[in-house]
Amino acid sequence: MSSEGAAGQYQVLEELGSGSFGVVYKAIERSTGEIVAIKHIDLESSEDDIQEIQQEISVLSTCASPYVTQYKASFLRGHKLWIVMEYLGGGSCLDLLKPGCFNEAHIAIICRELLLGLEYLHQEGKIHRDIKAANVLLSTTGKVKLADFGVAAQLTNIKSQRNTFVGTPFWMAPEVIQQAGYDFKADIWSLGITAMEMINGEPPNASVHPMKVLFLIPKAPAPKLEGSQYSKDFKDFVSQCLVKDCDRRPSAKDLLRHRFIRSAGKVEALQELVERKQEWDGVRTRPSHPKFYEETLNNMMPKSDSDEWVFDTVKASTIASRKNTTKRRKLSVIHANGQGLNSGAEEAFKRLDLKDAPLEYSSPPPMSGTVKRHTIRKQPSIMKLATPTKTRQVSSSQKKPLQPDMSFGNSGSTVRLFRRVSDNSTTAQVSSDVSAPGSTRDENRPPMTETVTKDALYGRRIFNKMVDPSFQEIHAQTGNQAKREALSRLADAWSALNEVDPEGEFQFVKALMEKVQSDPKLSVILSPTKASSRDGTPQASPQKPGSKLVLAQNNPHLKSHRRRQTSLMPEAEKISNLPGQTIPGMEHTKQLTDVLYGRWAGGLRTRWPAV
Amino acid sequence: MSFLFGRRPRTNTVDLPKQAKEQISKLEGPAGAAKAEELAKTLSQMKFVLQGTQEVEAQPEQVYALVTGMITEDLLYLLAVNLQRLPFEARKDAQVIFSYVLRFRPPTASPKSEPIALSWVINNRPEVFVELCNGYDHKESATPAGTVLREVLKSEQAAAIILYDDPTENGNSKGLTGIQLETRQSGKGVFWKFFNWIDQGSFEVGADAFTTFRELLTRHKSLVAQYLSTNFDLFFDKYNNILVKSESYVTKRQSIKLLGEILLDRANYAVMTAYVDRGEHLKICMNLLRDERKMVQYEGFHVFKVFVANPHKSIAVQKILLNNRERLLSFLKQFLEDRTEDEQFIDEREFLIKQIRNMPPQPVEPSQKPALLGSQAR
Repeated sequence: MSSEGAAGQYQVLEELGSGSFGVVYKAIERSTGEIVAIKHIDLESSEDDIQEIQQEISVLSTCASPYVTQYKASFLRGHKLWIVMEYLGGGSCLDLLKPGCFNEAHIAIICRELLLGLEYLHQEGKIHRDIKAANVLLSTTGKVKLADFGVAAQLTNIKSQRNTFVGTPFWMAPEVIQQAGYDFKADIWSLGITAMEMINGEPPNASVHPMKVLFLIPKAPAPKLEGSQYSKDFKDFVSQCLVKDCDRRPSAKDLLRHRFIRSAGKVEALQELVERKQEWDGVRTRPSHPKFYEETLNNMMPKSDSDEWVFDTVKASTIASRKNTTKRRKLSVIHANGQGLNSGAEEAFKRLDLKDAPLEYSSPPPMSGTVKRHTIRKQPSIMKLATPTKTRQVSSSQKKPLQPDMSFGNSGSTVRLFRRVSDNSTTAQVSSDVSAPGSTRDENRPPMTETVTKDALYGRRIFNKMVDPSFQEIHAQTGNQAKREALSRLADAWSALNEVDPEGEFQFVKALMEKVQSDPKLSVILSPTKASSRDGTPQASPQKPGSKLVLAQNNPHLKSHRRRQTSLMPEAEKISNLPGQTIPGMEHTKQLTDVLYGRWAGGLRTRWPAV
Repeated sequence: MSFLFGRRPRTNTVDLPKQAKEQISKLEGPAGAAKAEELAKTLSQMKFVLQGTQEVEAQPEQVYALVTGMITEDLLYLLAVNLQRLPFEARKDAQVIFSYVLRFRPPTASPKSEPIALSWVINNRPEVFVELCNGYDHKESATPAGTVLREVLKSEQAAAIILYDDPTENGNSKGLTGIQLETRQSGKGVFWKFFNWIDQGSFEVGADAFTTFRELLTRHKSLVAQYLSTNFDLFFDKYNNILVKSESYVTKRQSIKLLGEILLDRANYAVMTAYVDRGEHLKICMNLLRDERKMVQYEGFHVFKVFVANPHKSIAVQKILLNNRERLLSFLKQFLEDRTEDEQFIDEREFLIKQIRNMPPQPVEPSQKPALLGSQAR
C-alpha cells in the first residue's frame, strides 16, 4: 500500500524520547532534507479506540499557526501509526527547567507566545486542555510552540462547553475538576499555573498527592506569587490567569494587552535557555548513546503449534494467503511436532478438568509482554476521567482506580505518574460488585499457588478489587495524619488477613454484606446502584471520597451538559453493546443472553452469582 | 449591525451568498487563485454572521437572512462540491458554516422543529448530502465534510438519504421520496463508496470515513436493521472482503470490532442469526483468531463467540466446529492467555470451550432457522 512508500520518504535517525504513547524519532524527509519529528504509536499495544488517536490527528491537522507545532502527515506502517511533525530542537520547557528556573523576562516571552497560540486555538473552537511546561516546545532559535494535542477538544460551537474531566491535575482549572461545564478559559488557568511552574520549577501544590490536589484546587483560594522577588506585573499577570471564577477570568486576547506581556522581549532571548540546557547536558556525563531507529522485524508466529483450521472446502486459508510460503513450510514441520502437540493438548485438558471453576487460573499468567500490552497511551501525564454518563470503553487496565503513587510528591521530575481513572474511582467500591474493574496490582503478583478453593479466590479478588483500592483511595484523600495512620494500620491488618486466610476474608465480607443488606437503612446508603446515582438522586453517602465530584454529578447544570454530550458523542449509548469490553457486571454478556439464550442465562447467573 | 463585528463588512449580509456563488463559479477560471482568496474572505464574513465572536452574539435576523439567501442561491450544494478547492482556512470556515446553517432554527420556531435549511436539503436537495460524502474523494475535504456529515446524520432522514442513494439515469439522487425500503440496492449509491474510501484512502481519509460509516450503521437502529436485512448479501460481501480482509491494520481491526457491534445489537437480531448461519462467515472469523496481531485476534474472538453461543447452529457451522473441535479446544485454552486481567474475556473463553466440548458428535438439524433466510434466498 501507499503507506509503505510514505514511510520510505523519511530517513529515521535517533530517538528523541519515548513515553507510553510511543517513541519519538528524529528523521529527515528525503525529498526536502528537512528535519522532522516522527511519533510512532504502536496500535497493537493500545486498546484505546483508534478513534481517540484519530481525534488528536484531526485537531492537529486543522491547525496552521506559527505558535502550534506543525502537523505534516500521518500514515500507517503495519500496526504502527507514524505521525510526522515539525521538529523543534530546543526541547520542552520542562526539559529546559532542569538546569534551573527561568527568570521573569524569559517567562514573559514564553507567556506571550503561548497566549498567541491560545488565541489562535480558541478562535478555532479548540481547547488544548493540557497546557503545562512539558507541552511547550522551543525551537533552537527560541520559537515557542504548543504541543501534544492528545486531549484537546474541538467544539462545533464556539459558545458550547465541555465537561469531560481531562488534563493533568496540578494544572487543571477548578471548573474542569468540578465538571460543571468549562470552556476556553480553562486553558488560561493552566497557563497561569505553567507560569508559576516556570518561575518555581514546579507547579503549586507539587508536594501534595495528585488525588488530593483535585479536591484542593476548587476549595482553596487560587495560588499566587508572593514576595518581593517577583515583579508587580508578573504577580498581577499570574493572579489574572488564576481567577477562580472563569467568567471573570480574562481571555487570551485580553491578556495579550497585559503590561507583563506587552513589555516582553524578543523570542531570540530564549536561545539562552536552550544554550543553558546544552551546557548543562554537556557537564553531565551522557548516560547512554543515542538510540537509533531499528526496523522491528515482525516475526510473531501464530502462537499455537497446531496447524490451520480444517475447512472441508480445503482451501487452507482465505485470509492468510499472502503468507502462503511460511504456512506451507510449516506443514512439513507439523509431523515432527505432532506428538508433542497432542500431549500438550491432553495435559491442558487435564488441567481444565481439575479446575473448572470459572475464576480459576488454569495456568500461571505469563509475565512476558504483559506490562507492555497494558501500557496506556499517555499514561504518565494525562489523567482522564470519563464523565459519568459516558461509559468509556477502555481496557481493563485502564478502567481502574487511580493508583496512588506515594513516592510521587518527592520525585524531582514534574512528570507526574498517573493512571487514567474511570468514574468508579470516585466512589469507593463498597458494593458487592465483585466483577468491577480491578486494579493493576495483581498484575505483578506472583501467580497464586496455595489458594485452591473458590472462596479463597473470591477472597483474593475482594482484596485486590475492593479492599486494597478503597484503602488507597481513602488514604489518599485523608488529610489528617492521625487518621491516615489509623487507616494504614487497618489496611496492613487486612492485608495480613488476605495473606493468611483469603477464605476467611471472603466469609467476612460476605457476612458483612449480608448484615448490610438486612439493615434497610444501611443497605440503601451503602449500595448506591449506578443507576440511582446517575439520575441525580443525592446519595447520603457516608464515604468521604469523591464528595466534591459526587456533588458535581448532582449539579443540575450537568444534565443539560450530559444531554449535549450524548448528542455530541453518539458512541455513548452503543458502547454497552460493544463486544469484549470490560464493563462491570458483564452487561454485554447480558445483552448476548437477552438476544440469544434466555434459558442459559439462568444457569450463568447461578454459576457466577457476582453477575 | 455591522459595527458589532469590529470591522465593517464590505458586503451586506443578504448579498454574501450571491457573492460567494459568483466567486465559486470562477474558481476554475484563469484567476482561480485570486477568486479563491476572495471567496475565503466572503466565507469568513459569513462565519462571523453565523457564529458571532466570543465577545459578540450572532444576530438571529441576520442569520435568518443568510440562511434563506444560501438556500436561494443553492450555496450549500456548491460549497459541498467545491470543498476541496477552497484554501485551508476557508475549508474550516465552510465546515462551520455548514454546521450552523444546518442547525439554525428561527427564534420563533419550536425547538423541536426541523432546522429550516436541513429540512430544505432533505426534501429538495438531497444531493448536498451525497456531495458531502464525495468529500472523501479528496484528502483536503475529507475532514470538514466528515465533520459536517456526522452532525447531519443525527437526522434519520438524512441517514436514509445516504444509505438509499442509488443514482437514477440522469445522475440525480432520488431523495427521500424515492426511497423504497424493500428494494435491494444496486451497489452504485454513495453509501457503497465508503468501503473504498475506508480501505483505499490515506490514514486520515480512511479513519474519518470509517467514523462516519460507523455512525451510519449504528445510529438509527431500525433503519439500519431494515437496510441490512434487505441488502444482506451485498453488504456483507463487501464488508468481509474489503474491510475485514483489508491489508490495513486499522481498517481490519476497526471493522471486526464494528461487525461484532452490529451483530450484537438487539435491533439486528435477524441480521445476526443470518450472519452466523453461514459457514463461510465462520471460516473468515476463525482465521482472524489466528491472525498474527493480538488485537485482531481479540476482536475476532468477539465475533467468533456469537457463532459458538448460537443455540441454533446451522449444519455448516456445526460441521466446521466439529471438524476442528480438538484444535479449537487446545487453541482456545491458550488463546490470548496473557490477558489475565480481562475476566470477562476469560469467562467467555471458558464458556466457549465448554460449548464446543459439549457439542454432539454429529451435526444436528437446528430447531430454528434464521429469520432472514427466507427473504434473502430469493
